Amino acid sequence: MAITTAMATSFKSELLQGIHNFHNGSGGGTTTTTGTGNTFKIALYTSSATMSASTTAYATTNEVSGTGYTAAGNTLTNVDPTTSGTTALTDFADSTWSSSSITARGALIYNSSTTAGSANRAVAILDFGADKTSTSGDFTIQFPAADASNAIIRIA
Amino acid sequence: MFKLAVDSTIGDVVVKTTEHRGLTPEELAERAVEQIVSVSSSVDPIVRQQAEAFKNRIYHVVLGIIKQAIKSDRTTLVNEFIQQGHSDVADILRRL
Repeated sequence: MAITTAMATSFKSELLQGIHNFHNGSGGGTTTTTGTGNTFKIALYTSSATMSASTTAYATTNEVSGTGYTAAGNTLTNVDPTTSGTTALTDFADSTWSSSSITARGALIYNSSTTAGSANRAVAILDFGADKTSTSGDFTIQFPAADASNAIIRIA
Repeated sequence: MFKLAVDSTIGDVVVKTTEHRGLTPEELAERAVEQIVSVSSSVDPIVRQQAEAFKNRIYHVVLGIIKQAIKSDRTTLVNEFIQQGHSDVADILRRL
């Protein structure tokens, strides 16, 4: 059992099919009739989970449970996709589970929109490197700087 | 023949956890500065010095505002608790 940091292979294919829209709010996309960006979530998993580039969708198996954590995870705030040089990138605002008591080894970013084709589809798998624990405190995931070298999702 | 290579990558996240407390104003201010200012490792030393001084200034401005926001929110909460008849809770909040 292991969690390996990776961009889901299925996600790469789905990008080419126009299934995901990282735009924040209305406009900027064509995946829905209104052109509204999709909703993305981040779910936490225990060290018993097995996730890698071959993960295709959100699943509840080995998802974290504990005070302050709700199944399916937190909704992420998208930052509109942009470019830097020849690299396209997108970012999310940091996500926090407040007043929580949870232990997690990794996370899954996935598309939680209800649009057919994109619902619960995996985007990225994150390995924290070790179990991380909050005890009646904050569990915060800080996303990297939104630049061409560090952004959470980059296409160069 | 044409060949096109596209490299898709994900960045590294950082996980911060706390025990029996939330994040402090200092920790939050540090995070804010990280997001506002980044200094390249290959930049000229003089420019780097100026950038670090600017970062330090931003840190203290953000830290001050965060502390002010906390105090202001506590004032609102204290008054809310008093109006709801929970003066004991209001007193605990006031002393924090």
